Amino acid sequence: MTTAQIPITGAVAARIDGGVKIYGEGDTEVRALDGVSAQFESGRFTAIMGPSGSGKSTLMHCVAGLDELTSGTVHIGETELGSLNDKDLTLLRREQVGFVFQAFNLIPTLSARENVLLPLLIAGEDHDEAWFDQVIGILGLGDRLTHRPSELSGGQQQRVAAARALVSRPAIVFADEPSGNLDSKSAAELLDFMRRAVKEFGQTIVMVTHDPVAASYADRVVFLEDGKIVDELQDPTPDSVIDRMRQFGA
Amino acid sequence: MIRTALKTVFAHKLRLALTALSVMIGVAFIAGTFIFTDTIDETFNDLFDDIFQGQDVIVQGVTEFDVGFSGPPPIDESVLDDVLAVAGVQAAEGTVGGFAVIYDKEGEAIVPTGPPTIGGSVTEDLRLAGNVTIRDGRSPTASGEVAVDARTADDNGLAVGDIITVQTPTVVDDYEIVAVIGFGESDNLAGATFAAFELGTAQEVFDLEGKFSSIVVIADEGTSPDLLRNSIASVLPSGVEAVTAADEAADQSEALSESLGFLQTALLVFALVAVFVASFIIQNTFRIIVRQRQKELALMRAVGATGGQVIWMVVIEAIIVGVVASILGIAFGFVIAQGLTSVMSAIGFDLPSTTAPLATRTIIVGVAVGLGVTVLAAVLPAIRASRIPPVAALQDVDVRLRMSDRRRTIIGSVVLAAGIALILNGLFGDILDLGPLNELTAVGAGALLVFLAVSMLSSLIVKPIARVLGPILGFIAPSNLLRPVRNLIGRRRGVDKLTGLLAVQNSVRKPRRTATTASALMIGLALVAFFFVLGDSIKASASGAIEEGLRADYVVSVSGFSGGFSPALGEELDAQPEIEAVTQLRFGFWDRNGSDEFLMGINTDTVEQTIFLGVTRGSIAELDQGGVMVVEDIFDDEGWTLGQTIPMGFATTGLQQVPVVGTFTENGIVQANFLVSLDFYEQNFEGFGTDVDFVLAAKAADGVSLEDSRAVMDAAAEDYANVTVRDQAEYRQSQEDQVDQLLVTFNALLVLAVIIAVFGIANTLALSIFERTREIGLLRAVGMDRPQLRRMIRHEAMIVAIIGAILGIIVGLFFGIVVTAALSAQGIDVLSIPAAQITALVIFGAVAGLMAAILPARRASKLNILEAIAYE
Ligand SMILES: Nc1ncnc2c1ncn2[C@@H]1O[C@H](COP(=O)(O)OP(=O)(O)OP(=O)(O)O)[C@@H](O)[C@H]1O
Ligand SMILES: [Mg+2]
Repeated sequence: MTTAQIPITGAVAARIDGGVKIYGEGDTEVRALDGVSAQFESGRFTAIMGPSGSGKSTLMHCVAGLDELTSGTVHIGETELGSLNDKDLTLLRREQVGFVFQAFNLIPTLSARENVLLPLLIAGEDHDEAWFDQVIGILGLGDRLTHRPSELSGGQQQRVAAARALVSRPAIVFADEPSGNLDSKSAAELLDFMRRAVKEFGQTIVMVTHDPVAASYADRVVFLEDGKIVDELQDPTPDSVIDRMRQFGA
Repeated sequence: MIRTALKTVFAHKLRLALTALSVMIGVAFIAGTFIFTDTIDETFNDLFDDIFQGQDVIVQGVTEFDVGFSGPPPIDESVLDDVLAVAGVQAAEGTVGGFAVIYDKEGEAIVPTGPPTIGGSVTEDLRLAGNVTIRDGRSPTASGEVAVDARTADDNGLAVGDIITVQTPTVVDDYEIVAVIGFGESDNLAGATFAAFELGTAQEVFDLEGKFSSIVVIADEGTSPDLLRNSIASVLPSGVEAVTAADEAADQSEALSESLGFLQTALLVFALVAVFVASFIIQNTFRIIVRQRQKELALMRAVGATGGQVIWMVVIEAIIVGVVASILGIAFGFVIAQGLTSVMSAIGFDLPSTTAPLATRTIIVGVAVGLGVTVLAAVLPAIRASRIPPVAALQDVDVRLRMSDRRRTIIGSVVLAAGIALILNGLFGDILDLGPLNELTAVGAGALLVFLAVSMLSSLIVKPIARVLGPILGFIAPSNLLRPVRNLIGRRRGVDKLTGLLAVQNSVRKPRRTATTASALMIGLALVAFFFVLGDSIKASASGAIEEGLRADYVVSVSGFSGGFSPALGEELDAQPEIEAVTQLRFGFWDRNGSDEFLMGINTDTVEQTIFLGVTRGSIAELDQGGVMVVEDIFDDEGWTLGQTIPMGFATTGLQQVPVVGTFTENGIVQANFLVSLDFYEQNFEGFGTDVDFVLAAKAADGVSLEDSRAVMDAAAEDYANVTVRDQAEYRQSQEDQVDQLLVTFNALLVLAVIIAVFGIANTLALSIFERTREIGLLRAVGMDRPQLRRMIRHEAMIVAIIGAILGIIVGLFFGIVVTAALSAQGIDVLSIPAAQITALVIFGAVAGLMAAILPARRASKLNILEAIAYE
């Protein structure tokens, strides 16, 4: 999988069926996911919303191959994750999945450029310079590439992380509250970049967020509560998201 | 406060355990040395007590100056009658002793590697025989009869009735074994082989006819040994003394302890090196702990703890670690002592398997060193901790409390200069007057300062070295070596630059930490490199000296500590037409203004044919008038003039005024700075056994082929089983082997210091990885696999270790070069740097790094990705 194809809209990039995730045992048992089934279509931007503790991060970690379901299945593309060992899961993450975390996304000793290229460096693959320039161009990071993360603002750091998630053209990118620590301007720049990646390059993105405005950048919002999917909204706007949230009392 | 400290100790079990381990090894080495030498002391105390068991007074020749290996001069037989006439003497007999080599049934000499081969007479009255007991058979009563010690008998299948050969200074003869003897409970005397004869025979074979080595006396019932000693002393002629058996036992065991003192000092020096290395590890650990707890400590400051209290918190933690490590170290010392005992018995010295009880001194020194070093090493980090401002609790900033590079450079350079000055002053003297500080201490203290300075300064060069090493290591990484294969089978991958890059970045992230860790390894490897250079130079110098100075074709020498061989061998060789010249070389110690000096007695008529001496003043022939020749350096230094007399103290003859008759320059072969004639030697060194040779140099006659002369040499030497004939090449090899053996011993002792350093790398690495948990989680999340992660950590460890090796080699080369230069007067005039061994040290460093990385890498690769990312 050195040349990831830009997925055709309509195909399913990732899928979870009957996903159950239980933490702990007996008295301390927590059903973080309680029978979740969902699909994430290629070339679409999906937001996952829900109250704190509803299982958003858990869902994301399980679909991304960072954690295992207690029962149920996860597919990325045609690959079923349950059958993979650690090595194959690592390879799958390296080649087909991109990540943006809420904080601590970058390796402090590497420059911004090296951080962006990290997945390719790990894979020992050469990068596509044109694609790299394009991604960096949109992000407006051109003059900051030689800087260390500690010399970048929080917004710039998150954009570097986003660029890293895209540079290997993975089948799917997961972002867990990527704008959670940013002011509204930096958040808007980051989210705009993510939406352009979906629209212009056909990238598939799944994003967990608390923020209705952030969710409105997505094509679709999935609502989670107590480990279950309770609703879904197409082409959201901030207002329609807030409306829905009121319905669930979140 | 103590409770808080205890809690943190428990919270940091693992890192402190590794720290404690490094201290423990050092303390164990110290305690082990003490326990071991105490055991030897006790063994010999008991042994000498036993040997003189039942005896009251010993009468023997007066020793003017104690020369260690040879006993007091023999006394005249007639003294016995005087002694027997003294009132209060119940029984008295003369005894003789000397060297005797027993042969086994196959005719091979039984020569242990360490202990001597000795012999003596048996007393008729067994009450006078000390603790000698007859295990089997009866005392030898006639010539042709011998008794052997039980261990030699057992080991070689000898029994009463067997006929064996025994070589003594005068004859090689056959004897019938009539007794197997023991010494109390022991089968032998600390490993020595022992052959006992009837008195008359003994006098004959030890070349002591008409003489006794000593007279053993038992007092009458009711007469105290002290009183009897006094009454005997009053009838003795001059040159003969009487001592109580108890005093003699104490004297002999003290003399032995003194010679063991050197062993103890040597072992302790290596132990202190290990402790010194451990102090680096401790300092690093505490520095990292303080850094990791920066916020916590700042919070304590914010809620009102004083800087002093913060210092105490860290120091109390160090005290706990130090005490625990010292106690464990002392306990582990018994294992080390046992190990040393096994080594001794492997080379032939039989020591009892029980160790001496723990002396208070051992406990005090062990705890003082263990605790002291731990606390001292923790003080700097503790002071640093107290400087953490309370605001650090609120901010996520990394408070910089390090010394500035500028200050570090200045202080480091000053310390380095001071260290080098001390070393040069100690080695070459006369630059500074250091008063009471003796040369060795000056060199040692200087070396210590150099190590400290290099460790201070090395943080400045960590970056450039790491930058160079990174790509090299990255290139030789297995993934890259396998690249062609991978490309062939279609699984193409680029060069794995990343793990190398990350390893370099991680190792330079905290240059101080890397430098300290590397320095710990540097110390051990510097000393190894030093010994390599010194050893190689000694070998090269010896070879050079043999090549230039040895005109003889053969060197004949004794094997083991078997007391030489009869001069008859030299005479026999000299009589052969194939052999042109034979030179006897006899060495001895004399007293030169209170310190031991070595001299060599030589045949003045043949020495110029066998050995090139480079005579610059006077001539060899002038030695025949009873003068001494001096090596030119000393002659010049002392400002002596030809014909002037110098005072020389001898064991048998006391202080003599000896004229200086000449000077020479080439002392490489004779290995002595003073030469006398053989006659002069015999006059002044008559002692324990008399006329024996230890070394001969023989030159083949012109026109005789080497095969023919060799055959003659071997044939003559065949009768003397403790004699080895070597030609020039073999002789050179034997000299090199001796040096190699010493090198192996020293380096084996340094292994401990290196092991501690490897622990240090592992510990620092583990702690650093702990700090980088989130980073590792992230790398794993975005696709770094476990082998890559492990490789990254391995590379990091190898960078640290190789930096240590490089620094060590630089420092070691410096030490080696200056020490070799300082020893040029001692005949080490060639500097030789063994490139292969030095290169091997770098590889060894890399391998040490690899080993250090094993555990930390395994731990890192087992981290749970999600937990790691969420880690605070
Ligand atoms: N490692 C774990 N062990 C035990 N329980 C866990 C663990 N991780 C999550 N949980 C529990 O699972 C449930 C879902 O957690 P999750 O982190 O997925 O929620 P979330 O929707 O991401 O919440 P937030 O919006 O606060 O990030 C919670 O009740 C949480 O306490
Ligand atoms: Mg969450």
